[in-house]
Amino acid sequence: MDFKHPFISSPRLGVYYILVWLAILTGSVLLKWLAYGFNPGIAVAEGLAFPFTFAIIGSAIWYVIKYSSLENHTPARVLISHIIAATIIVFIWLYIGVVLIKLLHPFAEQWIDNNLAINIFGGYMFYLTYVIFFYAVSYYQGFKEKLKNEGKLKSLVKEAELHALKSQINPHFLFNSLNSISSLTMTDPAKAQEMVINLSSLMRYSLKHDQIDKVPFSEELNNNKLYLQIEKVRFGKKLNPVFDIDENCLDTLIPNMILQPLYENAIKYGVYEATEPIEIVTRSTCIKDVLEITITNNYDPNSMSKRGEGIGLRNIRDRLQIIYGNPMLMKVEDNKKEFKVTLAIPQK
Amino acid sequence: MTEKIRTIIVEDEELARKLLKSFLSEAENIELIAECENGFEGVKTINELKPDLIFLDIQMPKITGFEMLELLDHKPHIIFATAYDQYALKAFEYNASDYLLKPYSKERLLEAIEKVAERISIEGPDSDMAEKVSDYPRDEYLDRIVVKDRHKIHIIPVDQVRYIESMDDYVMIYTHEGRHMKQKTMKYLEGALDPKNFVRIHRSYIVKVEEINEIQQYEKESYIVILHDKTKLKVSKTGYKNLKDILNF
Repeated sequence: MDFKHPFISSPRLGVYYILVWLAILTGSVLLKWLAYGFNPGIAVAEGLAFPFTFAIIGSAIWYVIKYSSLENHTPARVLISHIIAATIIVFIWLYIGVVLIKLLHPFAEQWIDNNLAINIFGGYMFYLTYVIFFYAVSYYQGFKEKLKNEGKLKSLVKEAELHALKSQINPHFLFNSLNSISSLTMTDPAKAQEMVINLSSLMRYSLKHDQIDKVPFSEELNNNKLYLQIEKVRFGKKLNPVFDIDENCLDTLIPNMILQPLYENAIKYGVYEATEPIEIVTRSTCIKDVLEITITNNYDPNSMSKRGEGIGLRNIRDRLQIIYGNPMLMKVEDNKKEFKVTLAIPQK
Repeated sequence: MTEKIRTIIVEDEELARKLLKSFLSEAENIELIAECENGFEGVKTINELKPDLIFLDIQMPKITGFEMLELLDHKPHIIFATAYDQYALKAFEYNASDYLLKPYSKERLLEAIEKVAERISIEGPDSDMAEKVSDYPRDEYLDRIVVKDRHKIHIIPVDQVRYIESMDDYVMIYTHEGRHMKQKTMKYLEGALDPKNFVRIHRSYIVKVEEINEIQQYEKESYIVILHDKTKLKVSKTGYKNLKDILNF
């Protein structure tokens, strides 16, 4: 959550705030001077001491509403913290006000006797006004933030789709698959046919899911099984996919095409570089509204491919951040023998 | 043609090998003498059997097709077979006879073999790919150097290189673990190593910048570089200028 004060994050709002307070101050001074015949100096002093000092102290109420927001705390707790904060702020305000009155006002004692009680009430009223004002600002900010995130999400999904499409028709994948098919047409036509069909299904899937945000886990899983099957034809015993899926998870929802880059990486960094069999193990469990998926692959520790959080992994992290508001839903572990990615997908 | 072209396939995918083999069985002038699944096997088998022709994939486990070529003592004719089109230019810098894009047809393959047969009848069985390669500029810097001593192949990550010394037609590559000889020119390496990390300090030396501990003047206008392990290397005039440029002093 953004704790930054709205007067700092949008200075224009701060300027309006000061202008409104200056107008109130000017209005009250003019009223006392012209309508009630006050000495203008006294009118200014009174205005400056009360209520104008509230303009400064009151801006701190923002932090009270941010630290005890209605989303994260019970109404009772919020109410109590407001009562405590109001009392403290009103007390400070009165204290500063009284000091200023004593310094500036010729009849300070008399003024205090007449006005202190009404100003205590006024202070709480000011507090209430501020709370309402700042809640409005806070909700407006939240609303704007949400709109911005949705826009960003859309462009990220587009990018992921493009990437998935690209990786499925990239030269390495597509042309090598076609070369395998070319070879199979002579030795094993039935298998060649199967591979053509698998390749078509895979490409159809990546073209179909254009705009859908989330798909059932089973669908995403089947798509990736197809992808691995095609690669399995190429790599033979070098690629060994293993699935350990909890049946109860199959209906859970998962962002579209979020797994494909993980398998692609496992093949690129595991299978391409290896001479020994590489196991790609997919496990899923669902515990308490969270679908947890781990994809693990062993790799040749001597292979020299550089490995960091590449575009694929970063893109997944960004999407999880935007969809679920939490960048920690993806965990990456690398013990130099095995590479393991864990996704925790909330189901709400 | 009476004599057959002795051929080796270097390809990591079984189906791709099968296809190539079945196409080759229809070319009468080809005698397939071996198949290799990766570059390590390739180096060993090619140096041993000295084929006239190799079919070579580029992306393979352990070392790439290009890296394998650098380790060969015997230089056969080469036909590349790969799914990538972006290496074609580089392939011809290695004096490749042809470059087949997967998937390719039997006709296209036979055409490539025809070309090679012609070249063999003109140039003889040894290809002259050897030194032509060295002076070509590269589009990206090396991240590893592959070397061979006696029977073992070492893959040296460029980060482990400390400095390189020239020795006639060879260079000696010093790492933290030891040293390795490679048949390359200083000029080639100077161009192939990232100039942000490596600096040519002398006709005979290229040094990794972060290995430098001290630059000492020992005579008027002559300098030496002292590395972290106290190794002292001479610096030439041009070398001193290069050092000045990269270290900003």
